[in-house]
Parts: sequence; C-alpha cells; structure tokens
Amino acid sequence: MFVKDPILLACTITVVLPFLSFLTIICYTRKWEKVSCSISIGAILISLICAIYLFIASRHFAEPLQYKLPWIISGKTIIPFGFLVDHLSMLMLVIVAVIASLVQIYSLGYMAGDPGFSRYYAFQSLFAWAMMTMTVAPSMIQFYIFWELVGLASYLLIGFYYEKWSASQAGKKAFVVTRIGDVGMFIGLVILLLFYGNLSIVGVNSAAVAKQIPAPLITISAILIFCGVIGKSAQFPLLTWLPDAMEGPTPVSALLHSATMVAAGVYMFARLFPFFSGSADALQFALLIGTITMVLSSTMAMVARDIKQVWAYSTVSQLGYMVMALGAGGYVSGMFHLTTHAGFKALLFLCSGVFIHHYHTNDFFVMSRQGARSLKVPMVCMTIGALALSGVFPFSGFFSKESIMVALASHPNKIWLAAGLFGEVLTAYYTFRLIFVMLFPKEMEETHHEEEHHEGEGILYWLMGWPLIILASVTCVLGFFEKQFEHYLLGDYILAHGVEHGAEAAHAGGHWLTITAISLVAIGVAVAWLEYGRKGASQEGFLSRMPAIEKLFARRWYMDHFYRWALDMIIYSGFTNIFTRNDRRVIDGGIDGLCRGTEGSGRIASFLQSNMVQYNIFVMVAILGFVALSFLG
Amino acid sequence: MNSLTLYLLISAVLFSFGLIGVMMRRSLIAILVSIELMLNAASLNFMAFNKFLSPDTSIGQIYTLFIMGIAAAEAAIALSIFLALFRQLRSINIERARELRG
Repeated sequence: MFVKDPILLACTITVVLPFLSFLTIICYTRKWEKVSCSISIGAILISLICAIYLFIASRHFAEPLQYKLPWIISGKTIIPFGFLVDHLSMLMLVIVAVIASLVQIYSLGYMAGDPGFSRYYAFQSLFAWAMMTMTVAPSMIQFYIFWELVGLASYLLIGFYYEKWSASQAGKKAFVVTRIGDVGMFIGLVILLLFYGNLSIVGVNSAAVAKQIPAPLITISAILIFCGVIGKSAQFPLLTWLPDAMEGPTPVSALLHSATMVAAGVYMFARLFPFFSGSADALQFALLIGTITMVLSSTMAMVARDIKQVWAYSTVSQLGYMVMALGAGGYVSGMFHLTTHAGFKALLFLCSGVFIHHYHTNDFFVMSRQGARSLKVPMVCMTIGALALSGVFPFSGFFSKESIMVALASHPNKIWLAAGLFGEVLTAYYTFRLIFVMLFPKEMEETHHEEEHHEGEGILYWLMGWPLIILASVTCVLGFFEKQFEHYLLGDYILAHGVEHGAEAAHAGGHWLTITAISLVAIGVAVAWLEYGRKGASQEGFLSRMPAIEKLFARRWYMDHFYRWALDMIIYSGFTNIFTRNDRRVIDGGIDGLCRGTEGSGRIASFLQSNMVQYNIFVMVAILGFVALSFLG
Repeated sequence: MNSLTLYLLISAVLFSFGLIGVMMRRSLIAILVSIELMLNAASLNFMAFNKFLSPDTSIGQIYTLFIMGIAAAEAAIALSIFLALFRQLRSINIERARELRG
C-alpha cells in the first residue's frame, strides 16, 4: 500500500517522524543532549524534504486527494483520521516545515548550554508534529484534536523556563485564553455535526458552496468556529496572550509568531473559507474583528520598549490584516500574506534573538547604546525584515500587503480600506522607530566587552547566522512569485467554485492604490526618521506629549486590567465562592453525616452483642437443626 | 450396612466432634482445630459421594481440593487474627473478647 503510493508514504513520513523523535527524546535520550538535537533536527529535515516533495507533486492536482481511516463510527457519523492533500494544506505544510527546521537549527546556537536542552528539542518536535498533522487533517475533528495539541506544545514552550514565575504565568495565560476561543469553536463544530452530520473539510466546504446547508446554520456555526480563530490567532478580545508569550526562548517566539501557533487560526479560516463565505454576516464579523485587532495592536506597538514586544504586537496586527483579507474575500491575498509574514516575522524574531543573546537585555534602547549595530549580519537581516514588515518595495511584505489592499478595495464598504491604509502608516512608524533607534543610538555606552567577542563566538554565532541569511534572501525574492503563488493556490478546487472575486478587476482599477500605499508607508517612515533617526533627534515619540494616550497604549488599552477585574468579579467572587460553599456544606457535610450515621447505627446494633460467642453459636446451630428437621419432616 | 453409609457415619461423627468443640472449648486454637475437623468431615462426604454415586467424574475430588485450599487460607487469616487479639488481651480465651459489648 505504501510502496505503490509515494504520496501517502511521504505524508506518513512527514507527519510521523517528528512524533517519533519526540517520543525517543522524552523516553530515552534526555541525558545525551547531542543525540537529542540530532534526532530532532534529522526528523524535521526529513519531514521538510518530504513536504517539499509533496508540494511539488501536488502541483497539478485538480481535486483534493484524501486518505482516510475510520476512527470512530457511531450510527451514520464516521470520524476518520487521515491526510488531506491539496494545494492549501501542502503550502502550509511546507511553510511549517521550513520555519520549524530553520528555528531548530538556529536553536543549536541559541540554546547551547541550557540545562533543558533535550527537553527543548522534544517539545519542538511535539510542536512540529501537532502543527503538521493539523495541517493535513481531512476532518474537523482531527483538526480540532491537533489544534489543541498545538496549544499544549506552545504552553510547554512558552513556559519553558518554568522556574521563572512570569514564564509559567505566561504559559498558563496562553493556554487558558486560547481555550476560551476553543470552547466557542468546539460548540460551533458540535452544532455543525448535529445539524449537518458531517465534519469532513471537503464535504463541509462543497456543501456550503452548493447551498446544501441552511444559511442560519452556517452563520451561527461559522461565527462560533471563528471564536477559535480569535483565540488562536490572538484577535481582538483575546489578543492579550500573545505579547506575554515572549517569555519563552526567542526561537520559540519566532516559531510561535510565524508559522505555527498563531498561523493555525488563519489557516483554519482559509481551510474553511468556502464554508465561511457561505455567510456574509460571518465574513463581516471577521472583517470587523480583524480591523479592530489590527489598529489596536499597532497602537500598542508604538510605545513598547521591549524588542520582542514590538514584534509581538506587529504579529497581532499582521494577523489582523490576514483576517481582514480573508474576511473581505481575498483568499489568495490572506494566504499570501500568511506566507510572506511567516518568512519575515521568523527573521525578525531570530535577529532579535541574536541581540538578546548577545546583550542579555530585551530593551532595544539599551541594546542600541551598547552598540547593537556592530553585529552586522543580524542588523542587516533585521532591517530587511523590517522593510518587508512595513511593506516597502521590493520586499515580500510589499506584495502581500498590496494584494490585501486590493482585496479590501474590492469590498463595497470603503471603511475597511481606510482602516487598512491607516494601519500601514502605523506599521511603518513603529517598525522604523525600532530600526532607527537600533541604528542610530543617541549616546554610546562604554563597550568594553566588545573587543573580546566582536562579531562572533565562532560556530555558535554562525549557526544562528545562517538561518537569518536564508530567511532574509527568501524575504527579498518571495514577493516576485506572487503570480505563481496565486496560480498554485487557485489551481485548487476552490477556483472551480468561483470564490475568488474582484482581484483582477481592482488590479485594472488603477495604480492609485499602490501609490497611496507607498506614500503612506513613506509618511510613517518619515515621521519615525524625524523623531528617532536624524541627527539630534529627541528619540521620544510624539505620543510622549500625550501622556494619557501613551499610557492607554502602553497598558494595552486596559484589556488586561479588564480581564483581571472580570476574573475577580465573576470567577473568584462568583463561581469560586459558590463552589467553595458547595464543597464545605454539601460534600464535606454529606460525608460527615454518613460517618455519624454509621457510628450511631453501630452503637444501636451493639446491644445485640452479648459477649458470649459460644452461646450465640449454640443458638444458631439449634435453630438451623430445627429448620433442617422441619424440612425433613 | 454398605460402605457409603459407613463413610457417612464417620463423617457425621467427625462433624459432631467439630461442632461440639466449637461450642464448648474456650481456647481459640482449639476452636480453630474444631473448625478444621468440620471442614474435613465435609470433604469426606464429598469424596464418598463421588466414589459411590458417580465414579466417572471427579467433581467431588476437585471440591475437596478447593476446601483444602480454603482451609489453609482460613487458618492463616485466623491465626493472624488470634495473634493480634493476643497482643491486645494477653490471652487467647474467647470469653475475654468482650470489647464490642453494647
């Protein structure tokens, strides 16, 4: 079976190897760090090769290919496990495999000498396994199971330094907050299962397109399933977990922010895109949530001083862009932005990792004063990533943002387009605020240790350097493959159902959009230059003149405070109180009552005990003999 | 008097000795021995019935083996209880065990 079908074989290898590596490391090789990391990196590299093979092999598929084994059969409902091979899943598989392998190689340098080295690689493998199996899931049940496993793996990695209080808290927060969204998603799936009776991804999508599912059902279940996206991709009400998630090691943040955890939400949206497009209300809802997220998190990034926090907020806002694009019907542009974003965001985080590793601080003002720009490779790579993030020609971000703007422009309501363009200004501003601060420090500190390990700590430095260079070159050229990308993705069956609309028309509509976008980015960069870049700049943002607003942004719009308050009011003084009382009164009281009852009845029964065992036996024998005699008689 | 009746008589006598022992003796060890006697009487009955009424099957013998196993287990448990009791009361006279009297 395997030999005859190389695609099935490749799928199985891709998915199973990281899991085997996880098991081996956790069970056997935790003491031998070198063995652990070779196992893990070997597994992910083989997976990467298989994924690339699948990517190429699936190029000409007209129909999605499915392999299914029934897992649970209950009445008419069959829940299968297996693989779904189509263009979207293979694209995502390659993104995940590439980023995961680069991050694992980079971690060789970053995590060197850490006491939890083997554990780190075990969790990395677990993460890769969960994400890749989720990517190729043919049914929503399998998707959901691995969706939760992705959450588990990210919990383990965010809280990797578990002896640090803030890290374990951040891990817990990520787990619980995403779980809130997952509850909604699960309810949505159950509703769909109950009223439609099938959770196969292809089945649901084609049924929605063929209008076999009633519209209200689509709307309700789509909005509920979208709650999962809100949690996982850190959208508006639940976005607070992602900025805290940087407590983990920096390579983990890179993985988390680019290809795996947060991308899972957007991927699910794209995966069920024909289903979501069955309901205009659901798309509208997604558009609204995406826009709010994008604007809010951009404002937060404008005042952050922590390098990872800036990138974390920018991830949230870029995810907002992706959701906006999908919500506006731009299937290709959303996925294209996901792809380019995976590249440049991993690049940005990995570069920051080099700085953090080198200077042992997260504050980029401090880094800059200590001479961050002398680390040439990460500095250049980070600038490339930043250019891509703010959407400057010819880097990949420019093309994907451009196509998102086109998708937004094709939407009848122009508010969304305006918000998107406004977001571009903010993005350019906060990105270049960081870059200018890093490049042009206001005053230099005495950098005594600079001479000793200048520009390199030998092999470890280059282990971290090469993934950066690879990602940077990808970021430089990826944008020019937009046409091929579109062609690849739309060779998909979705094209046959005519989901993609408006993109071509808007392209013809004019270059004014491109020009506007470029000039807005230029405005953002110029403002950043005036405040942070030019000679004698104050390096204080214009927001510092408005302390109230700055505080609002820095405190994340008081969302954490609100959650804290809600937690205290509802959970602690509401539910917890009731449950404590229930515990004291009902459960403890019940058990105590039972004990007292037993004791009391024992006291009563003890009157029967006459202290003369043998007389009791005698009476017993006599009675039995009597009964026996009467039976005989 | 055929031989089955003979066996049954012997068994009945054994059983009566055991019963009387249980009812009359004050020492716990003696009571345990008497209980064993009664069990053996029952085993003898099984063997006799098996031999004379259905010689082809061996159900009676299997039953007897089980009774022997149970007797061993019961003796072990009983002796350990007696030990515990002895530690409490410094005696194995059954009349001294009167803690439970209401």
